Amino acid sequence: MDRQEDIARLGERIANDDQLAYRELFIQFYNKLSRFVMGFTKSKELTDEIVSDVFINIWRRRKNMEEIKNLKLYLYISAKNITFNYLKKLHRENLADLDMVEIEPQDPFSDPGAAMITREMNLKLRSAINDLPPRCKLIFTLLKEDGLSYKQTAQLLNISESTVENQLSIALKKISGAIRYSFRNN
Amino acid sequence: MIMDQSQNQFWNLLSKKLSNEASPQELQEVEIILLNNPELHHQADLLTKMWQQEAKKNKVGSEAAYVRHIMKHKDDFFTEEHHQDITVEDFEKPSFFTKRRLALFSLVAFTLIATGVIYFLTQRTKSASVAAEAISSVATKNGNRTKLILPDGSQVWLNAGSNLDYNIADFNKEVREVSLNGEAYFDVTKNADKPFIIHTKKMDIKVIGTAFNIRSYNDEKITEASLIRGSIEVTLKDRKDQKIILKPNEKISIANEETQNIVLNNGQKVDVKKDAKSVPQILVTDLKSNPVYNIIPEIAWTQNKLYFEDQSLEDIGPMIERWFGKEVVIEKESLKKVRYTGNFENETMEEVLSYLKLSKPFNFRFENDTVVIY
Repeated sequence: MDRQEDIARLGERIANDDQLAYRELFIQFYNKLSRFVMGFTKSKELTDEIVSDVFINIWRRRKNMEEIKNLKLYLYISAKNITFNYLKKLHRENLADLDMVEIEPQDPFSDPGAAMITREMNLKLRSAINDLPPRCKLIFTLLKEDGLSYKQTAQLLNISESTVENQLSIALKKISGAIRYSFRNN
Repeated sequence: MIMDQSQNQFWNLLSKKLSNEASPQELQEVEIILLNNPELHHQADLLTKMWQQEAKKNKVGSEAAYVRHIMKHKDDFFTEEHHQDITVEDFEKPSFFTKRRLALFSLVAFTLIATGVIYFLTQRTKSASVAAEAISSVATKNGNRTKLILPDGSQVWLNAGSNLDYNIADFNKEVREVSLNGEAYFDVTKNADKPFIIHTKKMDIKVIGTAFNIRSYNDEKITEASLIRGSIEVTLKDRKDQKIILKPNEKISIANEETQNIVLNNGQKVDVKKDAKSVPQILVTDLKSNPVYNIIPEIAWTQNKLYFEDQSLEDIGPMIERWFGKEVVIEKESLKKVRYTGNFENETMEEVLSYLKLSKPFNFRFENDTVVIY
């Protein structure tokens, strides 16, 4: 998966002009970064353009790769900055708001049967996640699916670590509430 | 049922546990709360299971996006050759300084790397069943050389007009397998558990940890493997039962076509005993470094040197063609067998030809992307 050492190793290879490593990095993060950016832009075309910008900057500055301490966090912060710049240019600054963000997390279980989960339960989980407030859903997704730490999430979103911590607790509590009732009803 | 306050604390602790943010004490606390509140088990289990679901991979979509990305930024990835065009005036000055200046100039102007990455995307999108066959292919155009590092850390220098393929999914699983068409110098990371195998048209080469050069251009008469250090095991495609072990500083040469004798790429002519029919002729010789230039001819190209030793113009032509990326046509039949020796580094194509011409005369002219020798 995306262990920090592995990503750092990719970074070193990219610094040595290794296009295969560059391709690997792109493929590893394209979907994740697209989901994050899409949450703000709500436009597939614009998202594609922004993510492409994020990666071309990596290639162009590959000789200064050692300046990047954490390549993964760098990708997300760079994606956010480029997104906000675009929104500004398009006079859509209102979209650069964590309470307006529309993140689409993946399905709770891609194969409920294999995980011994009923389809009903999967649907309940899905709608519980979808009903989370925008900011809460974004934080939940960044932690769970993007694998960022509390600290990294806080840095990325310019919020405090304790906010991140609280928001995730709220998310888990709400989701568990949804499945508790279904458990009783069943 | 626990109190709301401690309920909140439980979700907070579980959040930390799932995000790998919990301290050992906090992990213990989670267990203690669960022990005292069995009704939380179901929810905690389900959330944990959900949290640990593998991220869904849309590899095909990402690869298509990658191709779009590369094509959008072509100039960053496909470097054009920039061989310094020199004016006639400059060139005719016989001064040492002029020559030196030119060399320096072309050194600066020399484009380092240009790779064309070929994607087998079309094949992959056609049918889902072949989606697992993710082939990575690195190709160099004529006039360009590149260096790449494979996922296991092995380094490969790919000479001009060559390509190297490997299966992304399988590489480094049990074996490390690549296919080569053209010329490459390998420095393989040692890993006795995962043999490194290179497939070429004529032979397969199995290595453990070593450095060696392979030359297997489809348009040449000979396939060669030169071993610099370590040891390699060569299996010929035509007779798989026979293995040849190469020692350091040895070179194996195989005729690509059935010919009576083979002329090695460094010009040595060797008569080979006629072997059984339809078997490629094989020859193992020692590598010899050239005492004047202090280089081993077979791997001179890895040091950015265009080197040939007592070779016919007919054989030198394709080498120059690949090196500079311009087609070479020899119009005058009698010139094809004339033999030359040369060692070039930063020279332009015009300079190379002019120097060769000085030793044994011929004429040449440029026509677009072609140079005609007459």
